[in-house]
Amino acid sequence: MPTSPVEIPLPYSPEIEEAIASLKPILQGSYPISPRALSLLLLQGDEEALDQVREQEGQDAFERAQAVRTRLQDRLSEPVEWHIAQSRHQWGQALVEGALERNAPKKSRGLGEWLGMLCMNPITGFPILALVLYFGLYQFVGIFGAGTVVGLIEENLFGEIINPAVTAFVERVIPWQPIQQLLVGEYGVWTLGVTYAVALILPIVTFFFLVFAVLEDSGYLPRLAMLIDRAFKALGLNGRAVIPIVLGFGCDTMATVVTRVLETKRERILTTFLLSLTIPCSAQLGVVLALLSGHPKGLLIWTGVMIGVFLIAGWLAARVLPGAPAPFYMEIPPMRFPNISNVIVKTLARLQWYFLEVFPLFLIASLMVWIGQLTGLFDLALRALQPVTQWLALPSEAAVAFLFGFFRRDYGAAGLYQLDEQGLLSGNQLLVVAVVLTLFVPCVAQFLVTLKERGWRMALGMLVFTLAFALLVGVFLSWGLQALGIAV
Amino acid sequence: MGIKRWFQRKGKQQAEGIETATIVILGSPNVGKSVLFHKLTGRYVTVSNYPGTTVEITRGAMRYRGRSYKVIDSPGMYSFNPITDEERISRRLLLQQKPELALHVVDARNVDRMLPLTLQLIEAGLPVILVLNMIDELERDGLRLEINALRQRLNVPIVATACHNGRGIQELKEQIHAYLAR
Repeated sequence: MPTSPVEIPLPYSPEIEEAIASLKPILQGSYPISPRALSLLLLQGDEEALDQVREQEGQDAFERAQAVRTRLQDRLSEPVEWHIAQSRHQWGQALVEGALERNAPKKSRGLGEWLGMLCMNPITGFPILALVLYFGLYQFVGIFGAGTVVGLIEENLFGEIINPAVTAFVERVIPWQPIQQLLVGEYGVWTLGVTYAVALILPIVTFFFLVFAVLEDSGYLPRLAMLIDRAFKALGLNGRAVIPIVLGFGCDTMATVVTRVLETKRERILTTFLLSLTIPCSAQLGVVLALLSGHPKGLLIWTGVMIGVFLIAGWLAARVLPGAPAPFYMEIPPMRFPNISNVIVKTLARLQWYFLEVFPLFLIASLMVWIGQLTGLFDLALRALQPVTQWLALPSEAAVAFLFGFFRRDYGAAGLYQLDEQGLLSGNQLLVVAVVLTLFVPCVAQFLVTLKERGWRMALGMLVFTLAFALLVGVFLSWGLQALGIAV
Repeated sequence: MGIKRWFQRKGKQQAEGIETATIVILGSPNVGKSVLFHKLTGRYVTVSNYPGTTVEITRGAMRYRGRSYKVIDSPGMYSFNPITDEERISRRLLLQQKPELALHVVDARNVDRMLPLTLQLIEAGLPVILVLNMIDELERDGLRLEINALRQRLNVPIVATACHNGRGIQELKEQIHAYLAR
């Protein structure tokens, strides 16, 4: 049957076409793609295609197919893959050249493109990044969201109206004291689980996701990736890793899944490690901003420590795992004014997902604390953590925060919120705990994803390392602040 | 749109009829595959103006003129010869699902670089509609693509769209319908 020209939009060089023709009688099985496409994959040495052919045609036919490929390669000066890719590339260009016409001079793209360029230029880009962080994160999420709004919801609404009512109701209806404790005790399901999840974490992440969605929809994030890529290259870090790392500020669990876009195993391991150790997720960032918003100097030191740890850990890890970084290439979408409905839909979808993930975990944590209190394990664990609080020069009450931090770092930080309200922590102590909890063990979900993506050994290794490292940095910081006589 | 639709999603999905055919959306990262998926199915995925954000395969349904089609959004894919895991996932998806239709989404400004994948899909014998997305961006550059000329050379349906503002979506649905209802 003669093949119609339509099925072959592009004839390759005579050598390649001959090879395709000599493969034709070998390929007798049934394949999901046409014999021509399969032949081309075989000639390019595609492993999945080779496996398929070996499976369907047997070892003998497979070796004959391999021989065709070797013979073709001998006749060509460059690798077969290169020849095929070249033909396709030239074909595509010729096709478009014939169909493209200019009917107007290139219009200036105006403000959007100009702003986009400024975001990527290192001289203007970093000041713009600083402005975005200051207004978007510090002022909007930190001061307004985590300060004003949380204050209204957590202190006024929950603290003064809802929680006293719920407590009174539970105490009247359920006479049994342990159950009262489970529901409305100091770490009860309602007083701690629901209150923190709804009154503290939810408003903070809502404001954060809102800012994130605006940045995302405007096209700022890819430009940020380009900007930071340039800075990363100077440190010998790979640029593609910027994608999951920027996403990590939204949620480290999500970002750990996204490390799949990286080409080599080395880069995936490095990035997963940096995500586990140094990148605070939105909830954590929000709570830290809320805690330190009254201590701007402390916030500055916290930021400095995080950037320092990130750079040092990244640099060291890259040395431990040698290998060349892959080149970084990314399409840059246009800069545009964010679409309001996109922003709302994105924020809502993230919130729904986040809430479904966080809420059950907070309830389970309260339940486990209750069981621990009944059995005495809770006090035992707190006592075991006493030396840690002593090393860090913290009041012994702070041990609770670390214990909670094992569930989720932001949950631990939320525990600090209470201590801070009771005036139990000085600015320096607050800073030290914030640093330790940011670097602390990844949350349960992130750990599970790391386990799935990287395996047991890697996940456990990272867990132990981050724990030890977090405490070490905390001890140094606490000691350093004291030695230098700094009070924030 | 937005909130109300978002809450209705679950109920809607149950009400869908039998899906008659499978459509796979594919193309390089960041050409608007997920936005297109959203426009066709009404289902929200991580629509993100950011490459590499669709890592998992997402499924949804498109209903048009009383018919229901299964739509699958794939992670990014530059070429039929996979380098990254996501490309491997996309290719396997394409070969195992044996879709009745593949929508190859390309950035109209960079068609020349993306046509090789279209070629590979045609060579493979897969049924393809080429979606020239971000056509508005091309026009803002003062350029025009002779779609008819391209269509003749490739012999596959071609639709020009600007997914973010909905331009061309209706025509695309019509083309899909025409293609699959034959």
